[in-house]
Amino acid sequence: MDAAAATPAPKSGRLARIFAAYGQELVVLGALLALMAFSGAVNARFLSENNLNSIFSGNAYVAVAAIGMSMVIIAGHIDVSVGSLIGVLATISGTLAVRGYPIWVAWLAAIVVGIAIEAVNGVLVAYARIPAIVVTLGMLSILKGGLISATSGAWITNLPPGFLLAQFRFLGILSPVWFAAVLTVLAALWMRYTALGRSIYAVGGNPDAARAAGIQTKPTVVFVFALHGFFAGIAAILFASQLQVIQSTVPPNLELNVITASVIGGVSILGGTGTVIGSTLAAVLFAAIGSSLIFVNVSAYWLKAVLGLMILATVLADMARRRRAV
Amino acid sequence: MTSIVELRGIDKSFAGFAALKDVSFDVRAGEVHALLGENGAGKSTLIRIIAGVHAPDRGEIRIGGEVVRLSSPRDARRRGIATVYQELLLFPELTVAENIFIGKAPRGRWGRIDWAAMRAKARALLEELDSRDLDVDAKVGGLSVASRQRVEIAKALSQDPRVLVMDEPTTSLAEGDVARLMSIVRRLRERGVGIVYVSHRLAEIFALADRVTVLRDGACIGTRPVAEVTEATLVSMMVGRSIDQLFPKVDAPRGRTLLETRNLSHRRAVRDVSLSVREGEILGIAGLVGSGRTELALTLFGITPATSGEIRVDGKPVVIDGPRAARDLGIAYIPEDRGLQGLIRTQTLRENVALPVLDRISWATIVDRRSEEKRAREAIDRLGIRARGTEQIARQLSGGNQQKVVVAKWLGTEPRILIMDEPTRGIDVGAKAEIHALMGRLAQQGLGIIMISSELPEVLGMADRVLVMSGGRIVAAFDRAEATPDAVGAAMTRVGESRDVA
Amino acid sequence: MAPSLRRFLRHETILAVLVVVALVVLAAQSERFFTADNLLNQGRLMAEVGLVALTMTFVIVTGGIDLSVGSILGLSAILVGVFWKNVGLALPVAMVLAVGSGGLAGLVNGLIITRFRVPPLIATLATLALYRGLAEGISQSRSVRGYPEWFYALGQRDAAGVPVQVWILLLAVVVSSAILGLTTFGRATYAVGANETAARFSGVAVDRTRLLIYTASGLMAGLAAVIFVSRVSTTRSDMGTGLELDVITAVVLGGTSIFGGKGTIVGTVLGLALIQALRSGLSLAGVKGDGTIVVIGLVLIGAILVSNVFGRDGDG
Repeated sequence: MDAAAATPAPKSGRLARIFAAYGQELVVLGALLALMAFSGAVNARFLSENNLNSIFSGNAYVAVAAIGMSMVIIAGHIDVSVGSLIGVLATISGTLAVRGYPIWVAWLAAIVVGIAIEAVNGVLVAYARIPAIVVTLGMLSILKGGLISATSGAWITNLPPGFLLAQFRFLGILSPVWFAAVLTVLAALWMRYTALGRSIYAVGGNPDAARAAGIQTKPTVVFVFALHGFFAGIAAILFASQLQVIQSTVPPNLELNVITASVIGGVSILGGTGTVIGSTLAAVLFAAIGSSLIFVNVSAYWLKAVLGLMILATVLADMARRRRAV
Repeated sequence: MTSIVELRGIDKSFAGFAALKDVSFDVRAGEVHALLGENGAGKSTLIRIIAGVHAPDRGEIRIGGEVVRLSSPRDARRRGIATVYQELLLFPELTVAENIFIGKAPRGRWGRIDWAAMRAKARALLEELDSRDLDVDAKVGGLSVASRQRVEIAKALSQDPRVLVMDEPTTSLAEGDVARLMSIVRRLRERGVGIVYVSHRLAEIFALADRVTVLRDGACIGTRPVAEVTEATLVSMMVGRSIDQLFPKVDAPRGRTLLETRNLSHRRAVRDVSLSVREGEILGIAGLVGSGRTELALTLFGITPATSGEIRVDGKPVVIDGPRAARDLGIAYIPEDRGLQGLIRTQTLRENVALPVLDRISWATIVDRRSEEKRAREAIDRLGIRARGTEQIARQLSGGNQQKVVVAKWLGTEPRILIMDEPTRGIDVGAKAEIHALMGRLAQQGLGIIMISSELPEVLGMADRVLVMSGGRIVAAFDRAEATPDAVGAAMTRVGESRDVA
Repeated sequence: MAPSLRRFLRHETILAVLVVVALVVLAAQSERFFTADNLLNQGRLMAEVGLVALTMTFVIVTGGIDLSVGSILGLSAILVGVFWKNVGLALPVAMVLAVGSGGLAGLVNGLIITRFRVPPLIATLATLALYRGLAEGISQSRSVRGYPEWFYALGQRDAAGVPVQVWILLLAVVVSSAILGLTTFGRATYAVGANETAARFSGVAVDRTRLLIYTASGLMAGLAAVIFVSRVSTTRSDMGTGLELDVITAVVLGGTSIFGGKGTIVGTVLGLALIQALRSGLSLAGVKGDGTIVVIGLVLIGAILVSNVFGRDGDG
């Protein structure tokens, strides 16, 4: 996973410069293709349409959540509560749908509540100056406990068909894939080309300089968290509508998957750099790894260990790269 | 000719320490006005007042003839005052163009950044600075220091300022870059910008400036057209005449050699340094900022251990791989940055004094509180520290008293070689004199003292021998008798090979 | 009055008062509460979190954090079963090895942080995944049962009327309190947290201090694992999930600053007591386990919020 972007870009050659800037993302893409080729060679059924569909569309919601998470990390913070948040939002959304509210209300609720909760996180981090890890650790248990208490572990069944966004198809491709792809591209463009998007990099890269340059760091941080809540809301709807039922718990380590996707996708955990394209690619990579473990006959119980190793390796490489650059 | 910015009768104090006393200063359009003075003279405070960072306690600021109150740096910027500080405020991960226009990028529709316009404007600005070779799309993190500085200047220019303040712009630059910077400054002058050029490099001031103002100990000694002064006049304005009064030099008997280095190097920061210190001797090390003096001290103290060369203590070769090792050899270091390196400001006087000798005042790792308490009390008495007691939090003490705590802390390790880095920076005159007297007493007791200082008067007044460093090397050595302000000052700007002065 | 004494009085006293108030309220709620039996049982339940919270105090005082303690507990728990059943070692040996593995895991954390300069937050977030993953992978979700009778004495029996692990906890409290408050190591810990640079410049072995602290954190998690397994009579790979929340909340509630440089063991113990009292009270009031973690989360955020707001004025 070590990016070849360790050396500074040579002055000549646009291609070289693109590689240097997007090295990490290209590495992830390369790893993804290599993995698929390998697994497909070991077990041809890995490449079946069914399986590929389930890899991409079944995990697209992780990629969507990773978009928001990447922004938070780029801004210099972190959110470990996103897994429970998605669970809560999915439950709220599903419950509203089952109780007969219009579908669009159910969907909107997930997004609005997501924005609201994350905005609270953002305010506590920016204005009360509580470190993000602590705020979101606390929020994680509030949400997790709240969810189980509210649902008492019951699953939500009988979801109205109109609610099942994740099962719609456009041009033959399941909607989650569309959501992940389109949102990723839009977010990437926004972060690259708008002043507000660039200011996120500034705030995360050098908060003092950002303030000296006149950027309002505190409102920006709150905004980033709120935006992250927006993406979490969409991810929740996609997660909720994958099956005919909504389980009462989210997949374990959802937040870890999301954070790992961002980190491996090239977002430096120290803030100030990275892109959302990388995180999306990385999210897909993990889904592929998870699936391939099964097809290559390795116990799926090792998946978490693999994820942990990957984060570690990427972070170590990132630290090494930073030290060389200094 | 009227001034763009004028300051009259400015007073400014920080926690009881008067940084500026009744200072007046003005900048005219199309001139380079140099601001000269030793470290601690008040230059930083003055430019921060101009930049809107601090508000003066007394006095008035006029811009374009009108009295104003600058409420913030942004306010100053809006009124046409741009500042380029020594510590560059750039974003390494963003491009040159983005850094130049951070926070004020040209917008297109929907609030989108108009990238084409931004890059074009950035290129235009760089061209004005004769920096066409800088790629506006390059990430700033990968640029050299000189290039980054040019980005910072371009950033300042993008505000279309009427006054540009440059704080020690050439300290980290190599010869060629210095020449380039000077031509940029001349171009700006031709455009009609008023430039405040803070520096203590006399050569540059004569090459560039129209007028020069000298500050000393927070007061304005005088403002003169450069044509009417010589190096000698400037130096005497900076240094003043009362050297003997300020530094009562007591002669101490010289004993055997305590510390010696031969061809000592640490990467490229310290090169080939050979020196020696004897008992009772005060060895002064002079040089400009960035000449490698602190780096040398850090190598002797083990923070950045030597990569080649030899260190001998009492004639025996030793390896100093960390502060603990240095302490055990009898070497102590009073650091340059008191708040960050010297003290733990949130802890008490007692805890600070005990920190380097914890292992010596403990039994089976249990700290002996009574011994610790005694040491703290002794520190207060011995150095005359003005504190409420041993439990006072360090941060509440004045600068001078904090420095005394640092000194006391290290004296407690019973050192034989004391390295003092800018020992009296940011301290009031009274405490300064006390520290100088202390140095004299310590020398008499047989300690060898290495004193690093940017204040020429201090070096000239206190040292038995003076070494001058430049570019990590020792470029000159003087005995007390030969060390005149001119000679030493001239040596500081010299670039050359190392002198063996052991 | 000496400023540091005054500071001590402010936070820890308030905390002590709160604990007393909580106990009084709980005693009023139910007569069963203030029986020796129940109180000792509360102590039993507190032991695992308590042990880890002691070393976590050191970690947070140095300005760091260890999110992987729960995963180390889970891994060590699995390893007890693995060493005993699969490898066939004698149970005492297996127990010691499991605790040692915890220490090893902590050492790895420490090395990543000191050698590779990875921020503690990130390093322990990564190892949180890695160690839990190893636990899951090694156990393949099978649980180990059927330990000999004497093993359960650790977690379920009493010695001289007091639960065994409470004795262990008491011993640990005394030792860690002595280390942090009286020894040079404790001073080094505070110095590193308050100003790492000045500590280094004063000859404090910064990296070694950190390394030892993270190793100790892992060791303690390993010890807690053994006690936990003994108490619930089985090993599962999801043990210790969420431990870090309880531990960090107890430490922060106890007055240890999340930014480092300040904190006491006494405070942590009081924080622990308060949280246990909270849990107890909630469960008496009929709130299920999941409801209590909501409250713990609120307490965590609230504690730091309050200390941030009041920490600004009057620091002695």
